[in-house]
Amino acid sequence: MTRTWADMAAFESFLDDGGIVEVDDHMPDEYRQAVFAFIEMHANSELMGGLTERDWIPRTPGLRHKMSVLAKTQDEIGHGHLLYMVAADMQIKTREEMLEDLFAGKSRFHNVFHYQAVTWGDQVAIAFLVDAAALASQQAVFKNCSYGPYRRILKRIISEEGFHMRLGEDRMMRIAQGTDTQKEIFQGALDRWFWPALQLFGPDSKPDDVLLRWHIKSERNEVLRDKWVQKFVPMLQSYGFTVPAPDLSYDEEAGKWDVGPIDWEPLKRTLAQGGPDSARRINEAKDNWERTRWVRDAMDRAATVPA
Amino acid sequence: MHTYEIFLKKDGRDEYRHAGALDAATDDLAMVMARESYIRRAEGDRLWLVRRDHVIVADPDLIAPNADKPHRHHDGSAVAARRKAMRNEGASS
Repeated sequence: MTRTWADMAAFESFLDDGGIVEVDDHMPDEYRQAVFAFIEMHANSELMGGLTERDWIPRTPGLRHKMSVLAKTQDEIGHGHLLYMVAADMQIKTREEMLEDLFAGKSRFHNVFHYQAVTWGDQVAIAFLVDAAALASQQAVFKNCSYGPYRRILKRIISEEGFHMRLGEDRMMRIAQGTDTQKEIFQGALDRWFWPALQLFGPDSKPDDVLLRWHIKSERNEVLRDKWVQKFVPMLQSYGFTVPAPDLSYDEEAGKWDVGPIDWEPLKRTLAQGGPDSARRINEAKDNWERTRWVRDAMDRAATVPA
Repeated sequence: MHTYEIFLKKDGRDEYRHAGALDAATDDLAMVMARESYIRRAEGDRLWLVRRDHVIVADPDLIAPNADKPHRHHDGSAVAARRKAMRNEGASS
């Protein structure tokens, strides 16, 4: 019931021909490890993002927005469920092991969840800028992803992330048409979130990036990052906000924006769990897992109770 | 704890499709979790859950020979050629 390949060259030629790998195939171990690590980081990021979103349910202004934050929280946690299942099926770590590693600070999640959201403006900036960056990355994976179970689950995730991005734009437009104080709050948030959102795409892809070679990613990091810059710089400016890039320039001839040199140190710090809010976030996620243990225990006990 | 495979169908227009999987302690809990994880926005109006250990998986060797049965297919080209030939004969007589 499984497919096998004679060697890596045969496997890569299968992938180059558009082949889709399924969970019960004898995929090369390097491929299994690389795809697993990628999905695990995605799953962790959904969980960490969902917990942040949850923190904002009581603090979100207005019932309409509050309800949309509820829906978004459920989406993010739901994406975590779907992705941990796909990752666990690769039989490298169980779901429990993945969560233990996350809470022990041993595994990665996206840089943007290593910062604290201080004001409602931050939540607007996250939904508008960060969700768009995450969606662009996910779309570039979905487009040509060689690992079937991940590709199929991404389809569902992407459609829901689109909802989050539209919410973000809606909130941003409202705040842009608001009072001077509201505009100041959003500008402050923009100053905090513009660079982390841009850094989400990562540094330029290396020529030997296996994720590109094995058709997990279909686009280079720098290409996705540049598309995001070309879309969001003029959009933010058109709403009257200042892009916090001192070296920002516009090339008339190429018709393109350039944000200037990018400092990658903040990204590296977050990947080593050394971001401004990493420790608190990880501890909070761990505490949450402990606080909700009784729910999981009750569900497990349901299996042993006679009907 | 069991793993359940989830199948969804919408509006009678398509077949049941595999949507994903989840772990749950009982069938009832699996049903609730399937609704919350997979059908929050009316992605389907019919839902099947199948325990993964109940799925019977075919060996590819059993299925593979069916790719090699030309007598089970007819692309119509031979008929078209004959029809064309008959038409030409009719026109020339």
